[in-house]
Amino acid sequence: MPSSDAAAGRQPAPRISDPEVLHTISQELRRDLIKMIAPIGQGYVQQGLGAADLFASLYFSEMRLDPDDPAWPDRDRFVLSTAHNSGIFYATLAKRGLIDAALIEGYCKDGSPLEINTSERLGPVIEGSFGSLGQGLSVAVGMACALKRKGSPARVYVVLGDGEIQEGQVWEATLAAAHFELDNLCLIVDLNNIQVEGHTDKVMRMEPVGEKWAAFGWHTINCDGNDHEELLTAFAKARATAGEPTCIVAKTLVGKGSPLLEGILAHNIKLDRQTTEQVLAELGDRTQ
Amino acid sequence: MTVGKRSDLEVHDFMTRVSGMGQHPKPWGKALTKAALEDERIVCLCADLAAPTETDYFRDHLPERFYQVGIAEANMIGMAAGMARTGDIAFVHSFCVFATKRCYDQISMQAAYPRQNVKIIGFIPGLSTYLGVTHQAIEDVAIMRALPNMVVLEPSGPEQFASAVQAALSVDGPVYLRMTSSFGAAHREIVEQPLEVGKGYLLRDGTDGVIIATGMMVAEALEAADRLVEKGVDVAVINMSSIKPLDEELILRMVRKTGTVVTAENHTIIGGLGSAVGDLLLETGNVCRFRRVGIADTFAEGGTTNFLFDKYGLRAANIVNAFVEARV
Repeated sequence: MPSSDAAAGRQPAPRISDPEVLHTISQELRRDLIKMIAPIGQGYVQQGLGAADLFASLYFSEMRLDPDDPAWPDRDRFVLSTAHNSGIFYATLAKRGLIDAALIEGYCKDGSPLEINTSERLGPVIEGSFGSLGQGLSVAVGMACALKRKGSPARVYVVLGDGEIQEGQVWEATLAAAHFELDNLCLIVDLNNIQVEGHTDKVMRMEPVGEKWAAFGWHTINCDGNDHEELLTAFAKARATAGEPTCIVAKTLVGKGSPLLEGILAHNIKLDRQTTEQVLAELGDRTQ
Repeated sequence: MTVGKRSDLEVHDFMTRVSGMGQHPKPWGKALTKAALEDERIVCLCADLAAPTETDYFRDHLPERFYQVGIAEANMIGMAAGMARTGDIAFVHSFCVFATKRCYDQISMQAAYPRQNVKIIGFIPGLSTYLGVTHQAIEDVAIMRALPNMVVLEPSGPEQFASAVQAALSVDGPVYLRMTSSFGAAHREIVEQPLEVGKGYLLRDGTDGVIIATGMMVAEALEAADRLVEKGVDVAVINMSSIKPLDEELILRMVRKTGTVVTAENHTIIGGLGSAVGDLLLETGNVCRFRRVGIADTFAEGGTTNFLFDKYGLRAANIVNAFVEARV
């Protein structure tokens, strides 16, 4: 696929490199997430708060996207294999201008394209249907193979949860990505230690996660997934790596940003009105 | 229409390679490669079965568009969908069992729901393998038919392979192609026949009934029609290579004309061609004499194709009997 416009820097990433600015954006995303989910009581609060810094660093610093042309063939791909972690994703897409912010009002309401598991009904910003866990990395591997063959400069970013990596297909895809030397592929494991039944290592021991990917032949980076400087450094190292895919094991804290919620391993937490107000205040909402 | 008869030595999987059947003609591999030379969107994926799926031919001619993904069918479907999402038309290859049952959720979510251009090519249908129940796809048509957006095609044999490539390409979305091995075609000339989505082929006309067959049962159906002539019965034979969508117009025309229908499939009688035809007849108010020939809701065993077809009732004789029963 011709990529001259991309090579000319048609839509470079915002490349916001100031951690303070990214932190401010992350906090805004967190507040938007709470305001979206709390009233309807459906969605993933803890995981969203934990992953807010990942989403901010990807969408406001790392990935090359064009809000005016979301289906741009040379866009970087973003595959959210943990498709249920949709609240923070929708908040990010709206803030980045990739979806109409007015759609947020319909979150999880009947007929809305903002389903609890991200739906392709929302348009090309949703790169696939991944509510059935374990499938996103395979699709990302296919995208990376095809983009490489076509000489596209696009990179493929895929987020997997640490519970999800219990699915065997993830390891089939992990083998394939190394075998096909997909250096245009960057996997982020959102290591938040939570799955439906509780702490991931109590359900099925997954540690040491990074060493597993390293053993499969990946360039592997362990980092603090709530630290923008560490995340940006990891993305830069991934981009500079040739001949092998990169796995960033990003340790995140569920409930991050709200001391009231931090560390509570609740898969599907519901917030009453008073708690919601307190959480928003902790997240710096000046309207509270 | 030329439909070859099977040799006694024939086993429809890679075991045949050592049985002295001669040069493998690879009609599928050649047809897919020819199409790919004309359309750069076509890519080929294979899960460790290049020779038995004839994709070694593609690999040797277009290596940059061939992906050997190892024994990992779920990942293969996901990769194919990822490629399709960048504009490729991805043909994935394995045996029918592994290409469907092993990765059904992946097919459903990554190919069928989003209507991606993923063409699923399975070889060794039904009881056509020595390798036993693990390798015998007896319910693949039922589950693939049940998927929204999925087209299901089953050529009668190598004579429809070249057309099958074009039929798969004619659909902007997922297709399941249930393929008979062509190893046995080494000793006969392949006369190409048409295969189109939604079209059945009236191979022989008749007035006393119609046999609607698919895949390897087409040859049995033609033989059954010959035997029925000896009994003074004149039956038509349809090759229903498009199982979903069916050629409803052709079926209904022949049912109204003849009043007796026997379906024949190398598949469980539950959920396959026979079920599809039965649904059509009931829903259109065409009450008629009706029988299904197929695997009678049972698992089978390993064995040669002829042994298994005899034991599990997939023979011309079974079709004749079903027809006679239906007419009583």
